[in-house]
Amino acid sequence: MKIEKANAGNLTNFEVFDFLRSRGATSDPMGCIGSVSPSECKVFEYLSGSPACMQTRESVNEFFRKADKFEFITSFEKLNIVNSTPTVMPALYATIKDCDKRIAKEEEQIAKENQLEEDQLQELLELVKEIFPQPAEEQEELSQ
Amino acid sequence: MFYLSQVEQNLKMPPHLLKPSLLDGELEKGIRGELEKRFLDKVITNLGLCISVYDIQSFEGGFIFPGDDGCATYKVRCRLVMFQPFVGEVIVGKIESCDEFGLQVSLGFFSDIRIPERFMVQPCHRGEDGIWVWQFKVDNEEFQYSLDIDEEIRFRVASVKYPPTPVEQSENSKPFSPMEITGYINGDGLGLVSWW
Repeated sequence: MKIEKANAGNLTNFEVFDFLRSRGATSDPMGCIGSVSPSECKVFEYLSGSPACMQTRESVNEFFRKADKFEFITSFEKLNIVNSTPTVMPALYATIKDCDKRIAKEEEQIAKENQLEEDQLQELLELVKEIFPQPAEEQEELSQ
Repeated sequence: MFYLSQVEQNLKMPPHLLKPSLLDGELEKGIRGELEKRFLDKVITNLGLCISVYDIQSFEGGFIFPGDDGCATYKVRCRLVMFQPFVGEVIVGKIESCDEFGLQVSLGFFSDIRIPERFMVQPCHRGEDGIWVWQFKVDNEEFQYSLDIDEEIRFRVASVKYPPTPVEQSENSKPFSPMEITGYINGDGLGLVSWW
């Protein structure tokens, strides 16, 4: 076997979910037999429980386009955010590596810039919530 | 978590698989089946776990070499969907078990994810029932959060290792895992999903 290209492109969880769905995978494990293998079915089952199952191609493209204006996040972090769709600030901190160190630049400007970058993080969080809304049943649970 | 990998493989198609494929004009389907048999669910060192065959870009050849039992050899170029989380990626999994060294997390299709004690939320200790508990202190009040089995946990990938295949294994040793992921949960937003 020869590896021509080790990395021919990253895939978001949504793309893998969509690909398996188009091959015939369903949430019902018995229904998958014949069209996809059991291991592919397990991956599909895992992805069905993740935020990827609620996403659409358009929403993912829209997020990548709009997230371009946030210069401090790398493309890997954007991928991380799409895959995990954080809805609270600590979850967003977790996805962006060394978020506080990257954001605080020079000592004398820390106070002013921290507020500025916090606002940007808040904006990013709002963007995530707007493009990837939580499913209705979760919202009901929260309101109860 | 997932990415595409382009590989070239010399595939031997046994005659009993070739006959129906060629007659139906579905050679590609037959080749796909053989590729899946070869790659699916297998770990390729430094590439990751192969989840699926994404597409077949080209195949050529079909020569029958002497001594091959009549198998036709095709040179196939295809793309595989590989699972290999990058270091720093945040993933949600389920706690499968815990022991004195730490936690074992599973994603359903992949279970060799370990969170050793030194990478867990500090301070934490192991209770009498074997479950790890996080002691969280704020304003002189102490809260105990336990990391129960089957709970969803968000962790960050610390490293992905491919240990070499052991030549000999003693009977009692752990089954060999070709790909091991180590994660950590001592950070904002990490740990049980229900905590945040």
